[in-house]
Amino acid sequence: MMPQLLTVRVNRPEGRAIRIWVPVLPVMLAGSPFLILAALAAAVACLVYRVRVMQAFGTGWRLFCALPGTRFDVREGRTAVLVSIR
Amino acid sequence: MNEQRKDILGMLAEGKITPDEAEQLIAALERDQPPVAASSEAGPKAKAKYLRLVVDTIENGEPGRVNARVPLQLLRAGVRLAALVPPQALTRANAELGKSGVPIDLTQLKPEQLEALVEQLDEVTLEVDQPDAKVRIFCE
Repeated sequence: MMPQLLTVRVNRPEGRAIRIWVPVLPVMLAGSPFLILAALAAAVACLVYRVRVMQAFGTGWRLFCALPGTRFDVREGRTAVLVSIR
Repeated sequence: MNEQRKDILGMLAEGKITPDEAEQLIAALERDQPPVAASSEAGPKAKAKYLRLVVDTIENGEPGRVNARVPLQLLRAGVRLAALVPPQALTRANAELGKSGVPIDLTQLKPEQLEALVEQLDEVTLEVDQPDAKVRIFCE
C-alpha cells in the first residue's frame, strides 16, 4: 500500500513548533506533469546505463510502497525533528 | 462438532446409551484429542516488522536522541536495487574496494543472498554502551 500521509514536526528552542502534514496522493496528482517528466528522464537514464526499465520502475514502486511505517525522530536539547510516513 | 461426538449424541437420542454413559464417552474423547488452543499458542512468534535504531548521546551537557524506525519491508525492497546496478559500475566498485583493502567481489553478491540476510535480521540485537553515548539496533 502506498504512503498516504507524510508528517513533519519541528520543535525549536524558542518554543514554537512547526507541524506539516503532506497528503501524498493529492501532492502526487498535483505534481503529475513533473512526475511524468521525471519518469521519462529515469527511463532514458536506464537505457543509457543498460538497466532494464520495467524492472527499475517495479523496484522503485516497491520501495515507495514499503515506506509506510518509517519514522525518524531526532532530538538535540530543546530542538527536535520528527518525520513520519504513514 | 466432530463425527465421533455426533455419533455419541445420536446414540443418546436413540436411547441406546444413558446420559451418564454419553458423558463418559465424550470425556474420553476430549482426553484423547490434543488441546487445540495450546498448540496454536506454542506456534512460532510473530515476525518482526521494523528495524529500530536508538541512539542516546550527551553532547555539551545536553541530551540528544535519535530514534529511527525503518520497515523491514523497505530493506527487502531495497536489496532488489542490487539487481539494477550495471555490471560496469560493480567492476569499478570492486576495483575501488580492492584499493581500499576490502577485497569483496560485488558481482558475486546476489539479491537472494541479501534477502536471506534481511530475513535473519529480526533476531539481531546490537548494543553499544559508551560513557557519552548508547546505541541500540534491534527489530520489533
